[in-house]
Amino acid sequence: MVPYGNLLLLAFTLFLMGAVCAVARRNLLMILIGVEIMLNAAGMAFVGASLKWQLLDGQAFVLFIFAVAASEVAIGLALIVYSRRRTGSVDADHYNLMKG
Amino acid sequence: MKSYLFLLLLFPFAGGLILAVVGRYLPRRIAEWIACSSVLGSLLMAILAFGAAGGKRYLLTLLEWIRVGDFSASMSVYYDPLAAIMALMVTFVSSLIHLYSVSFMRNDRDYVRYFSYMNLFVFSMLVIILADNLVFLYLGWEGVGFCSYILIGFWYSDVVNATAGRKAFILTRIGDVALGVAIALFFLLLDQFSIFAINAKAPSLSVGTATLLGLLLFWGAVGKSAQLPLVVWLPDAMAGPTPVSALIHAATMVTAGAYLLMRLFPIIALSPTTLLTIATVAAFTGLFSALAALGQKDIKRILAYSTISQVSYMFLGVGAGDVAAGMYHLLSHAFFKALLFLGAGCIIQALHEEHDIFKMGNLRRRLPVVFWLFLAGALSLAAIPPFGGFFSKDRILLSTFSHPEPIYKVLALIGEIGAVITVLYTFRMFFVAFLDRPSVPEGFEKKDLKIPKFMGWVNLPLAILALLAATLNLPGSFGGNEWLAHYMASLPGGVPPYSAPSGLEWMMEIGSGLLNIGLLVVAYLLYRPPIRERLHKLLFSGFYLDRLYQIALVEPYQKLAKVFWLNIDEGVVDNRFDAAGNTFRSFSFGLQRWTTGRLSTYLKMLFLGFTAIVSALALGWYYLR
Repeated sequence: MVPYGNLLLLAFTLFLMGAVCAVARRNLLMILIGVEIMLNAAGMAFVGASLKWQLLDGQAFVLFIFAVAASEVAIGLALIVYSRRRTGSVDADHYNLMKG
Repeated sequence: MKSYLFLLLLFPFAGGLILAVVGRYLPRRIAEWIACSSVLGSLLMAILAFGAAGGKRYLLTLLEWIRVGDFSASMSVYYDPLAAIMALMVTFVSSLIHLYSVSFMRNDRDYVRYFSYMNLFVFSMLVIILADNLVFLYLGWEGVGFCSYILIGFWYSDVVNATAGRKAFILTRIGDVALGVAIALFFLLLDQFSIFAINAKAPSLSVGTATLLGLLLFWGAVGKSAQLPLVVWLPDAMAGPTPVSALIHAATMVTAGAYLLMRLFPIIALSPTTLLTIATVAAFTGLFSALAALGQKDIKRILAYSTISQVSYMFLGVGAGDVAAGMYHLLSHAFFKALLFLGAGCIIQALHEEHDIFKMGNLRRRLPVVFWLFLAGALSLAAIPPFGGFFSKDRILLSTFSHPEPIYKVLALIGEIGAVITVLYTFRMFFVAFLDRPSVPEGFEKKDLKIPKFMGWVNLPLAILALLAATLNLPGSFGGNEWLAHYMASLPGGVPPYSAPSGLEWMMEIGSGLLNIGLLVVAYLLYRPPIRERLHKLLFSGFYLDRLYQIALVEPYQKLAKVFWLNIDEGVVDNRFDAAGNTFRSFSFGLQRWTTGRLSTYLKMLFLGFTAIVSALALGWYYLR
């Protein structure tokens, strides 16, 4: 059996990669993918915890995360498509209407 | 009875309200009609109430007003012979003045504002007269002050008028504070606002307390009635339209102070100190303002100073403990002074806003109606026997003289000197303005002196009353029956405390009568040639009292205000606030740089912040476990 520490390490790495992807990339699609990876990393940590303590709560939580991720992708993609149509760009830096 | 008094107050209030709200949309005739008929209705109600009461007293609550715990103030009225006579006088004089105003204001476009404030003034004045509850009275007291302020500055586009209005407002406020304190003290000491109950409980007060209350009331009355040292606002108040001066600053409002003291006489009478203070201040005010009137050129200012002087005789009557005498003089003064002012209004309008009596002359031929009316007023004011003011002024001086304290003899003498000067200044004004003079200014004869006939004739009732005012209370020695004194006998102070021997009464009446007639001749001889320059200047400026106040009070105050403004307000308060504001400003400029508008920056910040929070929580959990 894989020790829980290793699993957490993997989840942490995955989360960090997702976060870096979300922050560093300028493409909206890549940011969305980064967010997805982060969600899945969190899900992995939950599954591992569920195994370690033999409780089903962690797995139930993962189901919720799937639902959130799916709906997020659905709405996020729709927004990206719409934004691209409006501005002709998927570069995040072009969206600077919020600049103070 | 209740409905009479209720309507008495309601008519002018409703008139003022209607005019203020919809007056602009009404035709001029209808607006004027509303204004006059509301006051005439009030007069009718005053007559009916007078008839129905028949000398009895009524204590009625018209409306509930405020009720919080122990504190309750209702709109209640206390109708006694004093209030009855005063209400009759005020509604009568103001009815005539409203009618007169219709003519006087015929070319003024702001007639709606004028009439609505006039009606409101009549209402407030009637509140003062009738109110039983002191808080209700204070409402009227401030109401007349406000209307007076508005109407003095009626032609507000001229800065001088607006300033005069402000001056009157501020100076009367100095007195009003004392009245407010007195009202609060009454509640504190007696748990009462009701004048009736206060007068009934008055003997339970100690002399010291009564002195304090009396002096506070007197100080309030001094402000309203323009006695020393707060005289300076009244001459300036002549900036308003002349009917306003006649109604507010001669016949009614300025007598409110004297009336207040008569109304609360049991409190005043408890303390000999208060009475002596009142009498002393009154005597000196009378002399002072009579002298000042002697030096004025402006016809309205002469009348203003003479008003101050005449009101001081009413105070002298109160100070001598003879309320009936004060009231007698108040009535005759109201008639002849309103008459003189309205006459002056006719002259001023006929001469195209000319106020200087030395630029008038020959008016006897040019304005014959006004001449006769003015003569009636002048005879009464100068107390030439047997007209108007003669008996009332004499009764006051007699009461003062027969007071057992020796100091009152001196005060009576000062009052008599003031009365003598009254003859001089009255007929100086009269002779200079009306008689033929060789040195009439050029072009004067060609001026067109047209005024509406109505403006003259409306004064006729006033002239008759001014001349016949003596019959209200003709002393027994002249075959009269002292009607007013009998009517008021049931009131506190209605009967003079010290009766004079009839020999003294005769002597004084004949003496002062002859003196006054003699001085009338002197005035005639004196006021043909120009008077001496220096004395004239001193008297003209009202003994430089204005100037003294300017130097002693206004200028230090202005300097202090400037120090506060530049060094404290701007130097300390404003600068501190500016510094604080600048700190926040630079802080937010720093923060502004973070708002790049880039999504990735926000995300970075989000992660950093989140990481910091989670790390802190983890560390805390680790170490505190």
